[in-house]
Amino acid sequence: MPSTALKMQPETRQAMPILAVEDLHTWFEIRRMGFFKAGDVRALDGVSFELYAGETVSIVGESGCGKSTLAKTILGLHKPTKGKIYFEGKDLSELDKHQLKEYRAKVGYIQQDPYGALPSFMTVERILKEPMIINGITDKDEQKRRIRQVLEEVKLAPIEDFLPKFPHMLSGGQQQRLVIARAMILQPRLLIADEPVSMLDASVRVEILQLLQKLQYDHNLAIIYITHDLSTVRYFSERIFSMYGAKIIEKAATKSLLKNPLHPYTQALFEATSDPDAENLKTFKDVPTGEPPSLLNPPPGCRFHPRCRKMIKGLCDVEIPPEFQVTEDQSTACWLYKDHAQGK
Amino acid sequence: MSNDVVLDVRDLKLHFRTRKGSVQAVDGVSFQLKRGRTLAVVGESGCGKTSLVKAIMRLLPRNIEVYSGEVYFNGVDVMKYSDEQFRKEIRWKKMAMVPQASMNSLNPVIRIADQIAEPLLLHNKDMTKEKAMERVAEVFSIVGLPLDFLQRYPFELSGGMRQRATIAMALVTNPELVVLDEPSSALDLLTQANLMNVLKRIKHEMGTTFILITHDIGTASELADEIAVMYAGEMVERCSAEYFYDDARHPYSNKLMASVPTLREDKELQFIPGQPPSLINPPTGCRFAERCHKRFKKCAEHPPVVDVGHGQRVQCWLYDEEGEVKHA
Repeated sequence: MPSTALKMQPETRQAMPILAVEDLHTWFEIRRMGFFKAGDVRALDGVSFELYAGETVSIVGESGCGKSTLAKTILGLHKPTKGKIYFEGKDLSELDKHQLKEYRAKVGYIQQDPYGALPSFMTVERILKEPMIINGITDKDEQKRRIRQVLEEVKLAPIEDFLPKFPHMLSGGQQQRLVIARAMILQPRLLIADEPVSMLDASVRVEILQLLQKLQYDHNLAIIYITHDLSTVRYFSERIFSMYGAKIIEKAATKSLLKNPLHPYTQALFEATSDPDAENLKTFKDVPTGEPPSLLNPPPGCRFHPRCRKMIKGLCDVEIPPEFQVTEDQSTACWLYKDHAQGK
Repeated sequence: MSNDVVLDVRDLKLHFRTRKGSVQAVDGVSFQLKRGRTLAVVGESGCGKTSLVKAIMRLLPRNIEVYSGEVYFNGVDVMKYSDEQFRKEIRWKKMAMVPQASMNSLNPVIRIADQIAEPLLLHNKDMTKEKAMERVAEVFSIVGLPLDFLQRYPFELSGGMRQRATIAMALVTNPELVVLDEPSSALDLLTQANLMNVLKRIKHEMGTTFILITHDIGTASELADEIAVMYAGEMVERCSAEYFYDDARHPYSNKLMASVPTLREDKELQFIPGQPPSLINPPTGCRFAERCHKRFKKCAEHPPVVDVGHGQRVQCWLYDEEGEVKHA
């Protein structure tokens, strides 16, 4: 473990983060006519953070900001261009094939679209068996015991009724619970949930979030919750990372961020979220226009500066802002806070 | 009927024929909408929101079993029109629609401006190409698209811009009523907020009447003067937005509001256990009864629509006998 990562921890935490990401870059090469290199899409450009057991971190940001790439890089679906991922203190890039398989069993993945994530030709029982077959849990009784246990945990009852069903016979909420069950069956230590509720109705959303919360509590899971919806975050996570243009631009405890978002982009996200209120009719939203930056050719300096109203000429459009530690539990990469101490 | 009522729907029914039986997607919906007002239709997926506006716009599939009721548009029952008359005089001329996910169904090989001009040229034989293009440029600036995008192809536009283009297409004939089916749900947060600003401006400046279909009550509150809640093919509550968010009366509306996460205020979130009933053989009584926490004996019969004051109409037995709460 790098020593800098350890210094930041409050004493109540366990000494070692379950996951540490250090200066992670994932770039995708674009080729012209098949083999001339035409540039890189910098989908992830220098991301660092730590995550502890039993903690939920939300990653918010708009589509194309790199949040799903971050998830997939952590899962090992993309190979990082630069930077390191440590899981329980071990560097992922040094793991051999066998160890990597073990790692993948410890990290569960919950996809956004439950129907798309479930093979339509498999029954519920087969879907849940599949990860166990791949990971060498062949004992029939053990398989049965685990299937029964996860289905009970995700409340797909009566179990016997669900086992022979196919995904299309389940409602959207039940499908998502099956996806969660599948992620849980190998007893992971970390869950990565990529927009787990965005395809579901409001009335079901809360149910799924509460279910995830309960699983986390019961199993002391670490959860990375990826979403574009700030309003669900407050009910669910302790820390929020806000992402824009392939970088994390603000890290904060949920309570502090909701009280006082620092980065102009986080402030804009905040302003753009509507709570049901008749007063909304009378006012216009004060949100920046324009589009997120191209990641093939990101703007120099801060990536938000072309849309930012508080842009400081000659600074924001020239130099990339480092992370400033503004309060004890809130840091942001924005030049507006340049009088504060720089974070790591 | 007062003159400023644009749309008056009475006992509208739309049932689909399927192999398993008749699906009662819209079952006896009535409402009125005044000029310049926006009605937001909210509800869970599969509750018949889209079917309702398709029935109003008469965009029907072939497997229709029942299509009945009255739809008065500016005082004329357009349900009596023939399909051809409706197409020529009403659809897109007076009522336009932005269907769900329409930003992804723009024709990829036709320039944006030509696509937007199409309804104008189709509905108006005297319209010249030049005149049409002038009007297209006009709606382009209304929805906030730069004019140099006129000659571009859809793939050259971002999602938010394409959605603006489909709204421009609906506005181009200057219709009195525009139906927006989930206009912002596929968009990013900031893009969505910008789009709601555009719609709000159109509403204020042009006095267009909107029907907004959405499952997101937070977004709905940006535009809606009135809220209609649909459940299992029925409109269970309809009231002014002023009262709805704090004082919804139908137990389903209450539950729905309790399930909406809020950013600025801390509240205990609830979910609605169970699932909506099948629309093939819905319960004869109240369709929400099975999931309702205030259910009582009366709920086995079909509830009447009760006016509980200030135009708030609730389809629930709790408020029977002139809006009095009997079993609160």
